[in-house]
Amino acid sequence: MPSFKFLSSLRLTVTLLGFAMVLIFVATITQVELGIHEVQAQFFRSWIAWWDIMPGSKKFSIPVPGGTLLGILLIINLLAAHGARFKLNWNKAGMIVIHSGILLMLLGEIFTGLLGREAQMVISEGEILNYSTFPREVELVVIRPDGDGLETVTAIPQARLKDGAEFPFGGFSVKIHSYYPNSEILPDSEATDKFDKTRATQGLGKDYAVLRTPRESTDDRRDLVTAFVEVIPDGGISQGCWLLSNAFKGEQSFEAAGRPWKMSIRPRRIYHPFSIKLLDFSHDRYLGTDVPKNFSSKIRILNPDTGENREDLIYMNHPLRYGGLTFYQAGFENNDMTSIFQVVRNPVWTLPYISCAMVGLGLLWVFSQHLIKAISRRNKISPAP
Amino acid sequence: MSTLRKITAWLIPALCLLYIASAVFDATRPSTGLNFKNFGTLPVVSNGRVQPLDSLARNALLSIHGKQSVPGDDAPAAPAAWLAELNFKPELADTRKIFPIHHDDLLGLTKLTRGEEKSYSYAQLQPSFTAVQPEAKRIGATDSKTWSPYEKALMLLTRNLTLYNQLKHALALSGQDHLESAFNLFLTDSASSRLGLVSDWAEMTEVYTTPSGSGADGWRKLPDSLIDASDERALHPATLAYARMGDAYRAGDTAAFNSAIKDYRAWLLENRPDHLKKSSAETLFNSIAPFYLCMVLYVIAFLCAIVSWLWQGTTFRQAAFRVLLIGLTFHTLGLVTRMMLEGRPPVTNLYSSAIFIGWGAIILSLAIELFHRNAIGTAVASVVGFATLLIAHHLSLSGDTLEMMRAVLDTNFWLATHVVVITLGYASTFLAGTIALVYLLRRSFGSIPKNTAASLRGMVYGVVCFATLASFVGTVLGGIWADQSWGRFWGWDPKENGALLIVIWNAIILHARWGGMIRERGMMVMAVFGNIVTSWSWFGTNMLGIGLHSYGFTDAAFYWLSAFMISQVIVMSLGLIRERGPQKPSGQVESLG
Repeated sequence: MPSFKFLSSLRLTVTLLGFAMVLIFVATITQVELGIHEVQAQFFRSWIAWWDIMPGSKKFSIPVPGGTLLGILLIINLLAAHGARFKLNWNKAGMIVIHSGILLMLLGEIFTGLLGREAQMVISEGEILNYSTFPREVELVVIRPDGDGLETVTAIPQARLKDGAEFPFGGFSVKIHSYYPNSEILPDSEATDKFDKTRATQGLGKDYAVLRTPRESTDDRRDLVTAFVEVIPDGGISQGCWLLSNAFKGEQSFEAAGRPWKMSIRPRRIYHPFSIKLLDFSHDRYLGTDVPKNFSSKIRILNPDTGENREDLIYMNHPLRYGGLTFYQAGFENNDMTSIFQVVRNPVWTLPYISCAMVGLGLLWVFSQHLIKAISRRNKISPAP
Repeated sequence: MSTLRKITAWLIPALCLLYIASAVFDATRPSTGLNFKNFGTLPVVSNGRVQPLDSLARNALLSIHGKQSVPGDDAPAAPAAWLAELNFKPELADTRKIFPIHHDDLLGLTKLTRGEEKSYSYAQLQPSFTAVQPEAKRIGATDSKTWSPYEKALMLLTRNLTLYNQLKHALALSGQDHLESAFNLFLTDSASSRLGLVSDWAEMTEVYTTPSGSGADGWRKLPDSLIDASDERALHPATLAYARMGDAYRAGDTAAFNSAIKDYRAWLLENRPDHLKKSSAETLFNSIAPFYLCMVLYVIAFLCAIVSWLWQGTTFRQAAFRVLLIGLTFHTLGLVTRMMLEGRPPVTNLYSSAIFIGWGAIILSLAIELFHRNAIGTAVASVVGFATLLIAHHLSLSGDTLEMMRAVLDTNFWLATHVVVITLGYASTFLAGTIALVYLLRRSFGSIPKNTAASLRGMVYGVVCFATLASFVGTVLGGIWADQSWGRFWGWDPKENGALLIVIWNAIILHARWGGMIRERGMMVMAVFGNIVTSWSWFGTNMLGIGLHSYGFTDAAFYWLSAFMISQVIVMSLGLIRERGPQKPSGQVESLG
């Protein structure tokens, strides 16, 4: 069958690997213009990637096969080639181990993409937190204080924030008047004509103007997500307009349906069944330089389910693995008073270890065979001088 | 083989040993007059690590002047002697022409005229500081990626002037006739009136001269040690020693200068033996300069290998091999000394990666040479060894090569596994490419005898196999390190991608060969392209994020990298030309042992 022959051919392997090199090279140089996250989405997790020849100008782009397409084709090619030529003997065993390892690694990357999750915990000394946040995603929360320090929190995901969207809350509803995925916020006095005319009539943002800006693509900049939000009692007229943004710290209060409420736009949270308390963050530099010598966070794990209450130390290259999550020392801010942990859930983190061992041993096996053959061939031709 | 030939095969290596012995003898001979050798061994803390004054002086001269020597007939001969002059007779040091200015607009700004040499002294530049400083301030506020060549040159000059000034105030207080009596005033009741002076001085230097507390973190700057002295009513032995050295140097009193150093070294031996031993070892390492000696030996080995191809096969092949072994021994000693000084695995920065790539490639070539015995392994080893050490030398111009590790890299386990293995991957890919270069170049000068072609083919194939193994395992170990320290196995960042490109390219060569898509010539052309891929991964990826600390270096490196890549493309296109005419009978140029 010619098409199967094509799918299982080494010629296809070489072609696909060649395209993979083009893709990786182009994605690398594009990182200068776009951030790493954009590049991952546009080049590696896509079927077709568009390469902007003159970066930034968006004048002339050419298509190259994307990571998803190449990955799937390579897997098909690999399976077909081994299916077509499968023979179990010692000569082939090494090759089978190598390619199974590579397959496992490709699958590992796919599953990491599907199942893995990366969040951050930004925690100050003395603070106790039972949640992590996603730094590139926000949520709009409406909070009903229930007394005794309890709160009922309704979180609206970023995907549902749109101009005119309305969310009912039993007695009143919250309406998005206008929504800005990224924005610049300035005091009224400094705003230019380009800024929107809409103004808040209530809350913290009364004297501020908002300008719609393109979303950030570089890694070190975050979107300022902003919305003008109206509170409308059922069957009544608007109580006014609030300006909510993740640029503002803390919540803004309002009264509705006869009780106090709070609301804010904040980084999306994910809650854990345990708490972390930051006891101490230390950051040493080498004498007379700004070169960091070490960062470390002394923490206490508090788990009401298991009754655990113990100290641990998280530092560079020594993460904490706890409750299916791994906490890495990722950064610091606020004059070394606040520590930032990368919080990662990746159920398939062991796969690369296994596949690395398989491919490494397989390569060693195959190439030792080659070497032994070459030596015995040489000895046959000319006995060693 | 005749006796004469046997003697020749040993004579050349013996001469090389003699050359090395004389270099080592020179480095260890005690100095006459002012003992700058011992002065150079005195430990200080700078750039976050304990280092000898000798290293401080050499690295500063390399950064500022681009070489470790000072021009002028009466100029200090050794870097440490220059450092002494800079601190103790600054008015004289200021007349040394060590600041190169290549850019005409910058020269115009300084109102200097182009003379014989392209370097100027601090004293010559001083009148134009009022023009240079506002420019530096203006440029510093802009993005370094947008800097023009003039702006880069100006920022480089400003950086070097700052460095120069910091060193100038490391060991002495300027404007004092007699340092020891000036320092002794801090022990009297009037000390508090002088503290303002000291705090100004402390601002001017980043060199920590005076051991205090424990380890490298407790050291104090000379001015700060005076504040301590006024509390304790006694000068620290280090502080006193530098004052005495300075006074003796100015007075031209050789005996007093040398005895101040001797006393201080005795105190250090008693109180800081580890720091003194480390800085003495580093000074010796600096003055022997083993990698420079290796470069000379590699050139000799290469020439012998060439001679063995043209004439006198076995004699010169053996001589070449023996010279290479001597070079490798010294290369290894240098590598191990660096590891001991740092307390680290061999590769910790770009500089040491160059040293290690050369070392790894030579070890692999030795195996090849023992297998094939036709001097190709030796020739290739000496070329790669020389080239990588030359690259290392140029990398060393950007500053201290024994710098401290940033926290994120501070793990000997991963430095010893991932970094070493991936660097061997680079080394072997370069080696395969260099052997292929030999094949393509020899082919373009005439056809290659059949058995030589077969052995070259075997070498390239074998090395590509090894390169695939090393680059794959190295890359994946890097992923595992990333998983351990950041929680993600693969992040598609430029350096990771560069390593992956090497793995894929080696895999392409192997699959194309197995699939019969390429034969001998095709494999050689592809192996040469491996050089381009590896040089991109090694240097190209570092140039993408052109940062503040890479200016100056990066532009030159970019130029050389491009030139290298173009040269490889030219050789590859030579390989694409078909064989001309019928093959000549073999055995013309070749002589197999």
